[in-house]
Amino acid sequence: MVYLSLTGVLFVLGLHGLFTARNLLRRLLSLNILTTSVFLLFVVMARLAEPLDNVPHAIVLTGIVITVSTTAVALALVVRIAGRMREEDVGAAADTRGDVE
Amino acid sequence: MIPETAGPVILFSLPLAAAITVFIRPRWSVPVTLGASGVLLAAAVWVVGVVLQQGAWRHDIGGWTAPLGIGWNVDGLSAALLLLTAAVGLAGAVFHASRPAPLATVRDPRFFWPLWLFLWGGLNALFLAADLFNVYVALELVSIASVGLIGLAGGSAQAAAWRYLLATLLGSTIYLFGVALLYGRYAALDLALLTDGVERDGVTAVAAALMTLGLLLKAAVFPLHFWLPAAHGRAPPAVSAVLSAVVIAAGYYLLVRLWFGPFAPLLGTGVATLLGLLGAAAVLWGGLLALLQRRLKMLIAYSTVSQFGYGLLVFPLAAAGAAHPAWTGAVTLVLAHGLAKAALFLAAGAIVLRHGIDRLEALGGDQRGATLAWVAFAIASASLVGLPPTGGFLGKWWLAQAALATGGYFWLAILMVGTGFTAAYLWRALQAAVRPGREAGIDPATLSAALGLAALSLALSAAALGLAAPVLGVLLDAGPGAPG
Amino acid sequence: MGVAGVIFDVLLALALTWLAWQATRAADLFHAVVSFIVFGLLMALAWVRLEAPDIALAEAAIGAGATGALLLSALDRLASRERRRRLLYEPGAAWGFWIPAGGALLGALTLAAWKLPAPGLGNEVRAALGVSGVEHPVTAVLLNFRALDTLLEIGVLLLAAITIWSLGRAPSPLIPAMPSPALPALGRLLFPVFVLVAAYLLWRGSHAPGGAFPAGAVLGAGAILMLLAGARPWIRSSERGPWRWILSLGLVMLLAAGIAGTLAGQAFFEYPPGTAGPLILLLEVAAGLSIALLLFALYLRGEPCEHGYRGKGR
Repeated sequence: MVYLSLTGVLFVLGLHGLFTARNLLRRLLSLNILTTSVFLLFVVMARLAEPLDNVPHAIVLTGIVITVSTTAVALALVVRIAGRMREEDVGAAADTRGDVE
Repeated sequence: MIPETAGPVILFSLPLAAAITVFIRPRWSVPVTLGASGVLLAAAVWVVGVVLQQGAWRHDIGGWTAPLGIGWNVDGLSAALLLLTAAVGLAGAVFHASRPAPLATVRDPRFFWPLWLFLWGGLNALFLAADLFNVYVALELVSIASVGLIGLAGGSAQAAAWRYLLATLLGSTIYLFGVALLYGRYAALDLALLTDGVERDGVTAVAAALMTLGLLLKAAVFPLHFWLPAAHGRAPPAVSAVLSAVVIAAGYYLLVRLWFGPFAPLLGTGVATLLGLLGAAAVLWGGLLALLQRRLKMLIAYSTVSQFGYGLLVFPLAAAGAAHPAWTGAVTLVLAHGLAKAALFLAAGAIVLRHGIDRLEALGGDQRGATLAWVAFAIASASLVGLPPTGGFLGKWWLAQAALATGGYFWLAILMVGTGFTAAYLWRALQAAVRPGREAGIDPATLSAALGLAALSLALSAAALGLAAPVLGVLLDAGPGAPG
Repeated sequence: MGVAGVIFDVLLALALTWLAWQATRAADLFHAVVSFIVFGLLMALAWVRLEAPDIALAEAAIGAGATGALLLSALDRLASRERRRRLLYEPGAAWGFWIPAGGALLGALTLAAWKLPAPGLGNEVRAALGVSGVEHPVTAVLLNFRALDTLLEIGVLLLAAITIWSLGRAPSPLIPAMPSPALPALGRLLFPVFVLVAAYLLWRGSHAPGGAFPAGAVLGAGAILMLLAGARPWIRSSERGPWRWILSLGLVMLLAAGIAGTLAGQAFFEYPPGTAGPLILLLEVAAGLSIALLLFALYLRGEPCEHGYRGKGR
């Protein structure tokens, strides 16, 4: 199957991006690609099974919702961290205790 | 209602229900959380009692049996960890509730409690689950709640939270890849089904390698521990306590579940030795770095890296034939570590509140308001080092017996050297108490005695664990996970 | 499948690989994010080819839609704050490590996956479908056989929203710089369509691909589009208002359904005989609404105002 190979390629691409990228957002994209490769593996399994297996479909649906949750949390963190970095760069009165409103 | 069902249902549902309640009505946070914590502790004690009386059992969710349905599995190991979670959860909640209010950050009071209860719910769901994908969902619940709780400390803690998030998400993704391979091979996600059906072949080996790698990352095993010290050292005290005591133990719990369950046929000498060497390296490296730290909380955080190294010694000792004493010893050590480490973090939290700083050399001087905390610190240290009759001693004793029985003198030496490191860095921390110090920090009268008492009760539990050796032995023997 | 099918699959796989490469390596971050969104859309095609239409719907709405909106709005924040040089990608070294290591990993994975017998649970699902209360197997798995996963998953969504609130207030102004002046009008025009599609998917879910997840995702994506079109975010974080209740509704209902089974003397989450169908429909509506609202809440990137927004939306 073409898609089985794609799973492996995406897995390696995702890992590579995660470890070599320095930008926080880009690491997040790599992680998402890695996750997609796992979902792809599940669905390929479902497709290869005889008859078509619906359990992996449900699993991947659950996984997609979880991934968007974790991505959203990560993005919110990245934005706060980047905001803080800029504040420190500018040398503005950096709030060292960090409870920034 | 059958008594077996009630315990797990309460342990699963109550934290989530309480989390929703305190999210909707933040002003009820403290009474709701403390009430729920008390009930959860009672439920966990009850579940342990039922396991002691009638052994392990399984509950099929929705009445659907595996492979289609999901099951809960309650045996000695999961009951023990549920109880550990409840003990640390209650003590941490009491500690956080009695922190002097002016020191809390602005966002803290409204969001600490729902996140805390969600973390608890995720951990309980994880320890109950007998299904590999259900475990993944529970792991994500635990990860996000941990990230939120670490981030509450603000400032540099948010960067630590980000690193933790990335590491833990990578861990769960790699784990899930292994799960997908197993599903493709056996069409089963249930631990018991897989244990019966697994064969030694390439697919299973690759799946085992991936899942182990993912979990090692989550359990912060050397050399994958890079994210732990900053995250655990910078979080609020109660959060550090639960992260070090229970969240890391959750990763370790799954490793043990898998390698003494489905992957048992694959546990050859080579794999076991590799895992054991990682553990040995963690013991030494974590111990060395703990010795070099200049901040109290960072010292305790590096100690976690070191202490979980002992847990991995179970694999080479089990592969060499001493599965039973090694398993009991390692699990006892993890439980004793959980209680003692949570006590240390809570005590450190109280001490840092008293002095307003966590550099070791500044912690001396007038200790009024932190006396109880230092007593708790000392007792917990005794257990972590392994002085008899504490839980730490019991675990190390069983591990040492396993090493002696199989002629594993190398592992015995690691155990001894690690103990030396532990004694050295904890002694360094305790020495700080009696040094003359500068007069700073806050008025001791504002520090509630509950802060020290929360730490002290955990420290005493860690010590008492050693006295409960016969009960613990029976408990850990209950269940399919326990090697015979 | 035929030759045309195989050629299509190969082209799709190549395009996906190239897009994934762009998303992780492109010099410009905006380029990377757009590549990732297109990657999500093409993945939806791949899911269709793999006979997983439910996932295709969810991927298009969540993977490309909601995640894309989240990424773009985060990028908008970052780009105005971070200096340009931080956005530029420093070409990674260590090719000497990555080419052999990646190749070896790829080989091991492919070899392992190639030999998979993939027995599947298709027969088991089919056998149990009759008593599950619904006709569509994916819905049966999600809300009956593996309902516990769904409960925890809604928990993860709610927890993510709370975590994001705990990080700070929602930034204001919330609306990113408008890429196109036509978007506001288009967004308002499209929102009813999104609601209709969501309702249709939800209704369809009991017997055909669709159901709570895609419906919730479509509705959530529609709401985000409305926000992009200048609507004021209507969620409030006030303790007194109903919003905290509404956001928690899905998890509350699922927990209640689980506990009800136990109280009735059955297993956790066991539906009483004959009631599975209507109960699942009820849970689906609750779960779908929760997913939609929580996705929207995730997009706000912070705790919304307690009592209403000062000033007007555009």
